[in-house]
Amino acid sequence: MDRSLAPAFDQLQNPNGARDAHELYSAPRLMDNMSDATVTLAAIEAGDPKAAEQLLVLVYDELRRLAASKLALEAPGQTLQPTALVHEAWIRLVGDRYPSFKDRTHFFCAAAEAMRHILIDRARQKKTKRHGGDYLRVDFEELDLAASSADDQLLAVNEALDKLALEHPVQADLVKLRYFAGLTNEEVSGVLGISVSTVKNYWTFSRAWLLNEIKLG
Amino acid sequence: MKGDSDREIAIFTEALKVSHRERASFLERACGGDEDLRCKVEALLKAHSRLGNFLEEPPPGASLD
Repeated sequence: MDRSLAPAFDQLQNPNGARDAHELYSAPRLMDNMSDATVTLAAIEAGDPKAAEQLLVLVYDELRRLAASKLALEAPGQTLQPTALVHEAWIRLVGDRYPSFKDRTHFFCAAAEAMRHILIDRARQKKTKRHGGDYLRVDFEELDLAASSADDQLLAVNEALDKLALEHPVQADLVKLRYFAGLTNEEVSGVLGISVSTVKNYWTFSRAWLLNEIKLG
Repeated sequence: MKGDSDREIAIFTEALKVSHRERASFLERACGGDEDLRCKVEALLKAHSRLGNFLEEPPPGASLD
């Protein structure tokens, strides 16, 4: 592992610190999910074609639960903190099992994909609500317009990203990790096993590729 | 497929380091008569010139910690 990542991953691998804050979860279920995740990661390594999808479902469920429990504690109009959620899901599902480099790659790519689904679902729901008139139009008309175009751009990026994945799969994973999971260049470098300067080059390329695609679409 | 992807990215990345004036001749040489590839890279360079802050902020509904 790239040593520059050590602090970030040491923090990830401190299960006690993170678990104290979440004693709401019952221990047996946590143990079940942990062993599920470990078994699924081993199955991916063994070449089981269904295992990647199982991992995605597992991570997606965990992230949704974590997101819901955070949002329930806060005021309306809240935002999610993808990086914190993804790191927390990692600790809860895999963290203290001494995973291999490949386990980490599979897990974070699945978590980034799951985070993407969660954020896209939220953008779609907001759009539906707006169109249904379930929104305070009078005072927030301008805000609504700005938010609406940001959501539209997000949905356009989401579609273009599927096309990017067909031509440039590694770069599409990188976009999910950086943009949807909010990882830093250094973290992405550690997850994908490429240098930080390559991460930066791929990121610039992918942004240009997506912007060009959206313009065409 | 992977080779094509790598080549497209490598040429795009190198082209960004070349001055605007020298880009056309650089692309000519780098793409070696592959018109399709040159068109792709040219479109990407055009998009790059108007990237601004695109994707540099967290997506709507998300924030940094």
